[in-house]
Amino acid sequence: MADYPAAIQELIDAFGRLPGIGPKSAQRITFHLLKADASESARLVRALSEATARVSFCSVCFNLAEGEQCMVCSDPQRDPHVLCVVEEPRDVVAVERTREFRGRYHVLGGAIDHLQGVGPEQLRVRELLARVQGEGITEVILCTNPNIEGEATALYLSRVLDVPGVTVSRIASGLPVGGDLEYADELTLGRALEGRRTVVR
Amino acid sequence: MTSIRSLSLRGFRSYDELDVEFDPGVTVIVGDNGNGKTNLIEAIAFASTLRSFRGVANDVLIGIDAEVSVVRATFDVEGRELLVEIELPRNGRSRVLLNRQRVAKRGELAAAVAVTVFAPDDLEIVKGSPSARREYVDDLMELLHPKNEAACAEFARVLKQRNALLKQLGGRLDDAAALTLDVWDERYALAGERLAQLRRKTVEALAPHVESALRDVAGGDAKVGVEYEPSWRLGGLADTLVGSRGDDVRRGVSTVGPHRDDVIVRLNDLPSRTHASQGEQRSLVLALRLAAHRLLTDVRGSAPLLLLDDVFSELDETRSAALLAALPAAQTIVTSALEAPSASHPDAVLRIRDSELVP
Repeated sequence: MADYPAAIQELIDAFGRLPGIGPKSAQRITFHLLKADASESARLVRALSEATARVSFCSVCFNLAEGEQCMVCSDPQRDPHVLCVVEEPRDVVAVERTREFRGRYHVLGGAIDHLQGVGPEQLRVRELLARVQGEGITEVILCTNPNIEGEATALYLSRVLDVPGVTVSRIASGLPVGGDLEYADELTLGRALEGRRTVVR
Repeated sequence: MTSIRSLSLRGFRSYDELDVEFDPGVTVIVGDNGNGKTNLIEAIAFASTLRSFRGVANDVLIGIDAEVSVVRATFDVEGRELLVEIELPRNGRSRVLLNRQRVAKRGELAAAVAVTVFAPDDLEIVKGSPSARREYVDDLMELLHPKNEAACAEFARVLKQRNALLKQLGGRLDDAAALTLDVWDERYALAGERLAQLRRKTVEALAPHVESALRDVAGGDAKVGVEYEPSWRLGGLADTLVGSRGDDVRRGVSTVGPHRDDVIVRLNDLPSRTHASQGEQRSLVLALRLAAHRLLTDVRGSAPLLLLDDVFSELDETRSAALLAALPAAQTIVTSALEAPSASHPDAVLRIRDSELVP
């Protein structure tokens, strides 16, 4: 199906391989770029090559970093005793946005998902263990997604992180703030009940 | 009561274009075999369940010459008008709208519009493999309470993950893999127990209805027992997994769990799959469908729409009459290759030839 000149088809295919972009969107983006001012494409090319050249993984926590260490790991203000374990760098951004967490991170690079060929060996679990055993960490917060794979990963980590003097906790899951009880699905409401807390008076 | 007022099909199965209105009472759809009677009932059921009761993939429903299949149905549920619109394109995502609002989950639609289908393939529930009986119970469970769908989906996902791990092990279990398997076993036991308990409760609620339904369709006073039969001891799935670990690893698949369970239907204390006669099995299937329909009506407080596909060709005159008499007062749509059964007293007859209405 050679509907387009090879160079254009190549570009469409390249966009189509990106997550969340289907064949239609890939076409739309391609034609937008071709129609728009040449400087717009140039800016995209520059941004892309700079990002891929400059950004790498933090040598400590595997978050995205410009340079050897990420912004969190190189910040001396952060509490070095508390570690928040997340699946992906974008989860770091999500937790950071809360401004509630003053410790450091560890990015696993995914969750246990055997259907995708990902077991604990494919994740940065060994590096996590080394950090917990060597860096004087006292608390680890498991912040993986509350889905089947994320829960299994948290359960796995809670078992391997059996290190004296280290508290391991799992983030609570339950009702969204500002939501209504009657609209909550049963699974979420059940979890919220399971994880209830004593009211402090 | 749930009833269908009108149905419009574009490029669905053998129908290029069809617009039809329905009587609120009993409608008999008459036509020779291969003229599209079942396709019509299938479309109505599809507008509630979003899948074919003939167990085929949805893309099979798209007309051979069509790029997109469109089903539009207007239902009346306890006096409230509900418009269901489904677009099923050959490529890309399907779109489902309920009163012009997008429907995200299958269960949402089934919660609004319920149908009960009697089909010739139903005989599998009694005669076939355990999977047919599990499907019967799971379908009923989801209809009774749409949120039960989550329990089925959760176990299915955990089972897939555990099986993928077992397969990757290639028959060998080292210490590191054992640790990962432990984690999945814990999740598996939790999800499995939950699913099995839901199924058992559903079967317990159903059982008394089956006995009375059988009496209504077949007469007599046969004793009927319906029981959920897990392949393990309820409450003990975690322990059972410990015992089956060797087998599971060697065979690369989960050998015990709710996906291997059965529902045993006994007629006068004997398992009906192996001991009931052909005639008794046919009556039992009708009783199982009718019982589910009655249970649904009780729990939801509203009778689902009744669809009977070619059921009477398999039944003698007496049984047909008994079934018709036993059906609750609900809108009923029946297909038949012959003329309508005399006991059906149809309010309307639709004649179909070459997938078109014949005046």
